Amino acid sequence: MTEASLPELDPVIHAQARLRVTVALAGLHHGDQITFPRLQQLLDMTAGNLSTHLRKLEDAEYVEITKAYEHRTPVTLVKLTAKGRAAFESYTTALHRLLDATGGN
Amino acid sequence: MDDDEEQPMSAAESLNLIARQNERTRRELGAGPARLLGVWAFTWLIGWGLVYLADDSHARPLMPGWTAGIVVAVLFVVAIAYSAYHGGRISRGIRGPSRRTGAMYGWSWMISFAALTLINLRVMKAGELDPHTISLLWSGTSLLLTGVLYLAGGMLWQDRLQYGFGAWIVVCGGASVLVGVPGNFLVLSLAGGGGFLVASLVYFVRERRSGPTRVADR
Repeated sequence: MTEASLPELDPVIHAQARLRVTVALAGLHHGDQITFPRLQQLLDMTAGNLSTHLRKLEDAEYVEITKAYEHRTPVTLVKLTAKGRAAFESYTTALHRLLDATGGN
Repeated sequence: MDDDEEQPMSAAESLNLIARQNERTRRELGAGPARLLGVWAFTWLIGWGLVYLADDSHARPLMPGWTAGIVVAVLFVVAIAYSAYHGGRISRGIRGPSRRTGAMYGWSWMISFAALTLINLRVMKAGELDPHTISLLWSGTSLLLTGVLYLAGGMLWQDRLQYGFGAWIVVCGGASVLVGVPGNFLVLSLAGGGGFLVASLVYFVRERRSGPTRVADR
């Protein structure tokens, strides 16, 4: 198998922190959003770190961030976009193809 | 750019990370129903089992009927509180359809059981029912309603196991009035509570098996 036939891994997703964010968001049911603090707790990340990575994912239009008010308290809601979900799916497909190509190592 | 200075991941490491985060997410958000069903299994097996053993048709009842009644009441209050806690824990920080569905489902239990209690109390007052008929009225209707609500849950979450469990409890409701008193308590305890236990164990095994190795695809 030649180098050219190996799939490229999406650099937006292929970084530990952002991969974990994506996985956590992909674990939500379709149409659901998660609050920033709950996501932070699911990932054990600092708020600053999570914000940074969310911004990069948002720039790629993989996540959608909504600011809303609940009982006059501001809440930040996060969800994976259809584009983000598709990108994550092709990312995992690419990973499996890579593994197959390199003989499972 | 400060936080992109991570080690480059190999495909295998990446899949590993996906599996681990998936496990964590599912454990916290999906919080499989094994433990919740286990709590209810305990409640039904022990609670109704004691009521059965305390029935005065036995030569030597285990305890006075009212004591068994109090134990059942306490067990149910604890199980209901745990159910509410379980539901709240899953939906904490989640907004959207699944939270709404969960809340509506939870309220369905509250509303319909409140109405069932009212109806049965009224029937008890209106008719001159002997204690056996009253006992059958309660075991039959509450098993029926419990079963129907699990049927609804099975439909909502497209969960065959839950649907099958609901059907089983509905059948138990029918059986409980056929066997009469105190056999109806045995149906509640062994068939009903046993059903909860089986369902709990099946979910437990499933959660184990589909655990860390598989990439979830919902």
